[in-house]
Amino acid sequence: MAKARPVPGLSPDTRFAAAAAAAVRVRAAEVFGFADRALDIADIEGVHDMRVATRRLRAALEVFAPCFPSAEHAEALGEVKRLADVLGQRRDPDVAIEALESFEAGLALPDRPGVAGLVAELREQQDAANETVAAELARVRERRLPERLQGLADTARGEAAA
Amino acid sequence: MKARKVKGLAENGDFAANARRIIEVRLGELCALAPKALDESRPKKLHDMRIAAKRLRYVLEIARPALGAGASDGARAAKKLQEILGDIHDCDEMLPRVEEHARRLRAADVDALTARAGARARDLDPTLASTAPNLDRHRGLEALAAHVTARRRVLFARFEREWARLEERDFPATLLESINEPVPAPQAPQAGAAA
Repeated sequence: MAKARPVPGLSPDTRFAAAAAAAVRVRAAEVFGFADRALDIADIEGVHDMRVATRRLRAALEVFAPCFPSAEHAEALGEVKRLADVLGQRRDPDVAIEALESFEAGLALPDRPGVAGLVAELREQQDAANETVAAELARVRERRLPERLQGLADTARGEAAA
Repeated sequence: MKARKVKGLAENGDFAANARRIIEVRLGELCALAPKALDESRPKKLHDMRIAAKRLRYVLEIARPALGAGASDGARAAKKLQEILGDIHDCDEMLPRVEEHARRLRAADVDALTARAGARARDLDPTLASTAPNLDRHRGLEALAAHVTARRRVLFARFEREWARLEERDFPATLLESINEPVPAPQAPQAGAAA
């Protein structure tokens, strides 16, 4: 799992709104930095890293909620949650397949077909979930979510400076 | 489980003071769930506690630059708890999945054998059992279900030990105390020091 990128310039005395702007800016960029790897079924860490990054972004949006205009904040948070849910639908079969394949490897050959059948069923779910992730990534790009999140971060900084 | 709203956050206040308020609320949520989650018959509460541990972990991670080592230690403890609870949750998801898969295979076999017996059969020929279409596809599933059930039991015992360990070192009070300690200012690089 990828480590969280440090948020530069934060200290105990940083004003809350300035911390909000810095944290949301870094966490939002982090999420979309994983988008290219998220659809690779051969490397399941890509979607996992993106999902963890959405969790960190959600946490930042929730912690710093009072710093943002409520309508824009609610809309952005809703979209990040939706993206996280879709990534979770892909992650669930990824985790299950990995666990089942590890279990299957410990069985004698004649005892493997049952587990292999379950893995095959999960592969279908994984493929379907991957298509949903692809559609969701296209949707958030079309709706300019990365740019809107950066705009939201600027709003917090603007309010703090006011 | 919805997170409790944190009251009294000041947009123009400093980061550290606001972060402490949020951590206090999230820590309270986690601790309040523990007695229910420790009841093995209430998996929903265990799931809620996992979410509460996750929320606490991430707010501590965010607050690390403001609250220092205390926040880092707390985030590590919350992460460990979240991971154990996450592994238990995986078992809770896997077992019904295995059982449902086996049930579907069995149902398809029953339909196939009934059809082979014919509409006017007086009984089912036992030799037909070996012609069930999913005969091989059941293999390993019982062993898998037993493994998942046993793994959950092992992980739950680990969760009990981990929570007892946190209680023994008075995790909530220690965490709140540590995030109230002054954070040393970052040291400026010394002149002549290597880059």
